[in-house]
Amino acid sequence: MDFFSDFAEKFYDNFIKDDRWRYLTDGLMNTLLITLFAVIIGLLLGFIIAIIRATHDKTGKLKVLNLISKVYLTVIRGTPVVVQLLIIYFVIFASVNIDKLFVAVLAFGLNSAAYVAEIVRSGIMSVDKGQFEAGSSLGLGYNQTMITIILPQAFKNILPALANEFIVLLKETSVSGYIAIADLTKGGDIIRSQTYEAFMPLIAVALIYLVIVMFLTFLVGKLERRLAKNDKR
Amino acid sequence: MINVKDLHKSFGDLHILKGINETIEKGEKVVIVGPSGSGKSTFLRCLNLLETPTSGDIFFEGTNITKASTKEVNLLRQKMGMVFQHFNLFPHLTIKKNITLAPVKLGLMTKEEADATADRLLKKVGLADKAEQYPPQLSGGQKQRIAIARSLAMNPDVMLFDEPTSALDPEMVGEVLNLMKELADDGMTMVVVTHEMGFAREVASRVLSMDDGYIVEQNTPKEFFANPDSPRLREFLSKVL
Repeated sequence: MDFFSDFAEKFYDNFIKDDRWRYLTDGLMNTLLITLFAVIIGLLLGFIIAIIRATHDKTGKLKVLNLISKVYLTVIRGTPVVVQLLIIYFVIFASVNIDKLFVAVLAFGLNSAAYVAEIVRSGIMSVDKGQFEAGSSLGLGYNQTMITIILPQAFKNILPALANEFIVLLKETSVSGYIAIADLTKGGDIIRSQTYEAFMPLIAVALIYLVIVMFLTFLVGKLERRLAKNDKR
Repeated sequence: MINVKDLHKSFGDLHILKGINETIEKGEKVVIVGPSGSGKSTFLRCLNLLETPTSGDIFFEGTNITKASTKEVNLLRQKMGMVFQHFNLFPHLTIKKNITLAPVKLGLMTKEEADATADRLLKKVGLADKAEQYPPQLSGGQKQRIAIARSLAMNPDVMLFDEPTSALDPEMVGEVLNLMKELADDGMTMVVVTHEMGFAREVASRVLSMDDGYIVEQNTPKEFFANPDSPRLREFLSKVL
């Protein structure tokens, strides 16, 4: 009996009293917002880098852009995302008054782009080279072949890997608190600092992430099965 | 129509083509035979520059294509159809889209014209009922017939065949060879790399034998099979006939 009344009391303290649950919902909103826009930046920039790299691998052109891309990938993938976030906020935008959410979107977007680029490039490389030759033999130029023949097939091959990258990204945004953004993780931490109670808020935060990730994983699985079915037609 | 002068091709240290001189006239059906690694596929792929020659010249309808710009190369490829061993159909597009993609994208036909062309070609290759299906649903022989239809949609002046029946189950070889015979009868200029000696005998106007990067012998099919000159060719023919 003690346990339950204790639990109810703690639940009240941590979530109901002073509307503390709002730290979690507001935090979740920020987490989702950062993730969504970072995904968009990651996809756009990632695709561009991947096409530069694949074009270089296939034709030997775009040497300078390829070199820049390679340096970019090395730096981004070789350093922790928290450090990148801190550098962008405290070094690059040090003297500018700028929305912190924007900084986070930029940092996570630039970071994700590096991983998306390698996924997309592997997708382009996974398309049989006969497809490219077939396009060329019909007189289609490099860009036309890429856009109408290679990329649609590559995209289909990498959809599951891309989706997984975004699940990882969602969890990575939990370090946004380093630049004092009240994301989901920070929200739980604020509750902890007010109630001196760690268990409830932190477990709640973990559960929310878990549910979202499980839901996204479920969607990816469904997508994968549908794509596999299309192959068997 | 096609004039090849002292064509060489190397992959790194590997010297595949060691000086090919050959002229292919309009309307000819040239069949190229020879053992694996003799360079026959490489030779064929050089003709539409899927492989870039290391040295030598190739003239197509009067233009030296080895010196052509990328744009000119794309234009020349529209005039040279190619059929691959592994079909290389576009698996994400319907059969009809496979055929209409290039003519429409290249602005040669409107979508309606291309659709009409596709319908006509599908009827010609006997697969009109497959128009809305996808390549993975077809058998190998059907895929290759579609691949031929796809090339024909570009109205090519010459068709290159790179071992078109080598990846097929035996019972499907006939349907593809029959279609190729029809093309030959229609007067299409054809260059065919194949191991189908029956096809060579029946359809070829000329048979070339390649070995070790050279064209070692060429003749009318009748003479070619009856009186092979070189011992190497005699040995090869005794193995494949």
